Amino acid sequence: MRVGFLPRLSPAAAPYVLLSPFVLLFVVFGLFPLVFSFYLAFQSWEPTAGVSAMKFVGLDNFAFALTDEWFWKSLKNTAWLAVVSGVPQHVVAIPLAYFIHTSFKRSRNSVIGAYFLPYITSTVAIAMMFSTLFSTDYGLINLSLQALHGVPGLASLTPAEPTDWLGRAENIKPAIALVVFWRYVGFNTVLYLAALQTIPGDIYEAATMDGAGRWQQFWYITLPSLQPMIYFGVTLSMIGGLQLFEEPFILTGGRGGTDQTGMTTAMYMYRTAFEFNDFGGASALSWLLFVFVAVLTWLTNRAFKPRGPAA
Amino acid sequence: MRTDLLAPRAAYALVGVGALVMLLPFYFMFVFASHSRTEIFNLPPPLFFGSSFLSNLDILTTKIAFWRSLGWSLYVALASTALTLLFCSMGGYAFAMYEFRGKQPLFTLVMGTMLLPSFLGMIPSFMIMDAFGWIDQPRALYIPGAASAFGIFMMRQFVSSAIPRDLVEAARMDGCGEWGIYWRIVLPLLKPALGTLGLITFIASWNNFIGPLIVMRSPEMYTLPLALRSMQSPVNTEWGAVMAGSAIATLPLLVLFAISSRRLIDGLTAGAVK
Amino acid sequence: MATLQSHPLLHAALLSLVSLAGTASWAQAQTVLAISAYPAVDEIAKAAIPAFKKKHPEVEVKITSRAFADHHTAMTTALSTASSLPDVMVLEYGYVGRFAEGGGLEDLGAAPYNLQSQQARIVSFAYRQGTTSAGKLVAMPTDIGPGTLLYRTDVLKKAGLTEADLTLSWDSYVASGIKIKAATGAYLMAHARDIKDIMIRADIKPGEGLYLDKNGKVLVDTPRFVRAFDLAKKVREQKLDGKIASWSNEWSEGFKRGTIATQMSGAWLAGHLSTWLAPDTKGQWRAAQLPEKAYGSWGGSFYSIPKGAKNKALAAEFIQMMTLTPELQLAAFKAQDAFPALLEVHNNAFFEQPIDFLGGQKARLLWRDAARKITAVEVHKLDPIADEIINTELDKVLDQGKDVRTALADAKALIERRAKR
Repeated sequence: MRVGFLPRLSPAAAPYVLLSPFVLLFVVFGLFPLVFSFYLAFQSWEPTAGVSAMKFVGLDNFAFALTDEWFWKSLKNTAWLAVVSGVPQHVVAIPLAYFIHTSFKRSRNSVIGAYFLPYITSTVAIAMMFSTLFSTDYGLINLSLQALHGVPGLASLTPAEPTDWLGRAENIKPAIALVVFWRYVGFNTVLYLAALQTIPGDIYEAATMDGAGRWQQFWYITLPSLQPMIYFGVTLSMIGGLQLFEEPFILTGGRGGTDQTGMTTAMYMYRTAFEFNDFGGASALSWLLFVFVAVLTWLTNRAFKPRGPAA
Repeated sequence: MRTDLLAPRAAYALVGVGALVMLLPFYFMFVFASHSRTEIFNLPPPLFFGSSFLSNLDILTTKIAFWRSLGWSLYVALASTALTLLFCSMGGYAFAMYEFRGKQPLFTLVMGTMLLPSFLGMIPSFMIMDAFGWIDQPRALYIPGAASAFGIFMMRQFVSSAIPRDLVEAARMDGCGEWGIYWRIVLPLLKPALGTLGLITFIASWNNFIGPLIVMRSPEMYTLPLALRSMQSPVNTEWGAVMAGSAIATLPLLVLFAISSRRLIDGLTAGAVK
Repeated sequence: MATLQSHPLLHAALLSLVSLAGTASWAQAQTVLAISAYPAVDEIAKAAIPAFKKKHPEVEVKITSRAFADHHTAMTTALSTASSLPDVMVLEYGYVGRFAEGGGLEDLGAAPYNLQSQQARIVSFAYRQGTTSAGKLVAMPTDIGPGTLLYRTDVLKKAGLTEADLTLSWDSYVASGIKIKAATGAYLMAHARDIKDIMIRADIKPGEGLYLDKNGKVLVDTPRFVRAFDLAKKVREQKLDGKIASWSNEWSEGFKRGTIATQMSGAWLAGHLSTWLAPDTKGQWRAAQLPEKAYGSWGGSFYSIPKGAKNKALAAEFIQMMTLTPELQLAAFKAQDAFPALLEVHNNAFFEQPIDFLGGQKARLLWRDAARKITAVEVHKLDPIADEIINTELDKVLDQGKDVRTALADAKALIERRAKR
């Protein structure tokens, strides 16, 4: 049972050989930028003046960032957005994937396809689409809300006046969270669907024969089997959420929105680098964000990491 | 028992409505692609298809090398997907199935890179590409991405949950070489994961514009996102044409998704652990 | 036994590879002049290539165009490592200051370019704008965006007002707005920020930049800021602005329906209104100078040569051609609404032509007049961040009712904090 042209590999050497292409590329293209950006965090650098213009400033950039009210504001915005856009994604995606997996046979592709489409759409299109949809007087979102307002029972849940989504400070964050949710819920559903397909069907058959209902099967069989995937998905959402850049950037036209309520830390970093031309400051910001994300990832790790031989 | 009858029907309805809501902005993109920019900026905006698609297409192909950029995007995305699937499945398998020195620190380091936003690496990436002479070359776009932290993370998780150790041990005892195990046992079982990662990688490569922005100097070498963005002037964008370009740009992704989602279902039968 | 989903796709990959190889253009053994620009300057440069080819048939001119922000990001990246630089770099008005102070651009005023000798032929503020604090001309202006007040004459008439009511002073402008609102329901302006933007640019004393002066002292609590904020607040309180962002659906709809009575902008907006924003409102707009004799510039493009460029002599020739040839400057004006920075073009008969969209008004005379009166503003590297800080404080004043003087004091503290670094 040998693969013809490849030399025989000992189990001891195997991991190193298998990992070598990845590690090689990683060191060159992943580590160098990392190290460089770390180095930059201790410099003051205005990029258009060339590399020679770098000046060592020690911990200055970090001190400035930690006492910068905009940095803290952006962290709060980022955390809020990560939670509000991230949690619904998984709370919706898991049952949705399960439902599609068990109940849709022929139309499965089209249903999953519909949910996945937002992920495919480019940011240019999203920017244009959503600024139209969020338009105060004629946007479909407000028009639907107005229509729902007329339905008895829903009147208390929906606003009476058209909402200025992208203009008013208190509405910008929910608008961004909505777009992020729209964009990624399908992605997570696909991930969970793929994971669901690796669960052998006989376990369910055995459970049904034992008299377990749908809900019990879901809770006691599906969820535990999905744990590695949930760990993966939640970690990803959290990291992605804390680095949120594209959606807030395009919805606020790159400026952070009224009173900077839509400015995430990643966006603040981008602006510091390319608009305020302060690369050292931007690098310091990124490392501070890194610490923040690393701590949260570690916490998620403790909460979700699957225990067992394969872990 | 009554909930057992009602719940599925309500669930179907909810899922159906959800699907329509997901599709709505997408639908608008295609609608806008068929209108002139004056019409797009109307209030209320157009709800149904218009008649300007061909003229938008005309503007699109005159202003930028649209089909050529499409070709480049395709080439780069395919190469990127192939390389990423190969390297990440090998690496993910290694992390999941083997014990070796430096395993945990290496994995933590790789995961660590995921925590830094991509654009901070812009300038050092540019320096590297320049040093290698890779500026204006497609390989600068697909080679670095193959070391995807996301990809190796995903593969590791999948191997952990889909491939039992006993299977690998049994194969080893049967005299199967390490490559054989990887190639003939592990990869087939990973089909759903490969399909998913392949799809995600393809899409990421297709929509990526920061990479090409740094690396490409000549308009003939632009990939689609860069080409479409280059049509956007601060005050004078041909929005109809941009929408038409964006709409067409999503079609290959739709096709790819249609193909690979069938494979995802086939993966169910391949998941036989016996 | 391939398990990758690659069969049909591998096929497609091979096919696309083959077709690309067939269409790839291999490098010619001739000089290539590389120009980096953004829309619409790229079109203007492209249109001028035949003229350049006549002088230099052996040179191939290659124009790389990127979206506006992408272009400046790419140029920042290229300058940071001094590699992959174009021969000719186009820069926009808002970015020129940053790039100029960086030191990566050639001094076009000195030998061998000697463009300083042409100073008198260029609109003075634009020339100053491309000059560093050390007096080096690093960016040669090619077009400018003289500010104008575009207003709806039908709305004005309905409110019983005249143009003079709008332009006499800022106070009369706002007072007119109240009357317009009462008589027609239309907003005076799209967003209160617009009035702030113009007012802080008035009354700049020599040695002062927009937000900081030459010695780094922060100026945001000076009278021009206080007055600007006070009036913006009044505009909001009187509900004279539509809280409408530029380039949004509401904005263009506001023009179409006449619910936005005036718009302060570069003169080029008139062209956009007539071509696609609100073509059906033809004849109902007029142009005027900005209120209280304020003069400002909205945008404008400059040509520069990076120090790391390969073909500097050719680049200089191209730039001279684009900026100092009256025919080309006029052609750009006619085709792309790029208002010439070359003074002698302003005497062309084209400027005397009535503009249909503006009801036959000879607005170009107005604009060339304004162009001469615009004063250059000293640029400081903290300008972009100061701009952001001021806008954020204005948001607080407008939306949360924050006191103007407190807001400006907070802004000053924030800017000073950054100035200390």
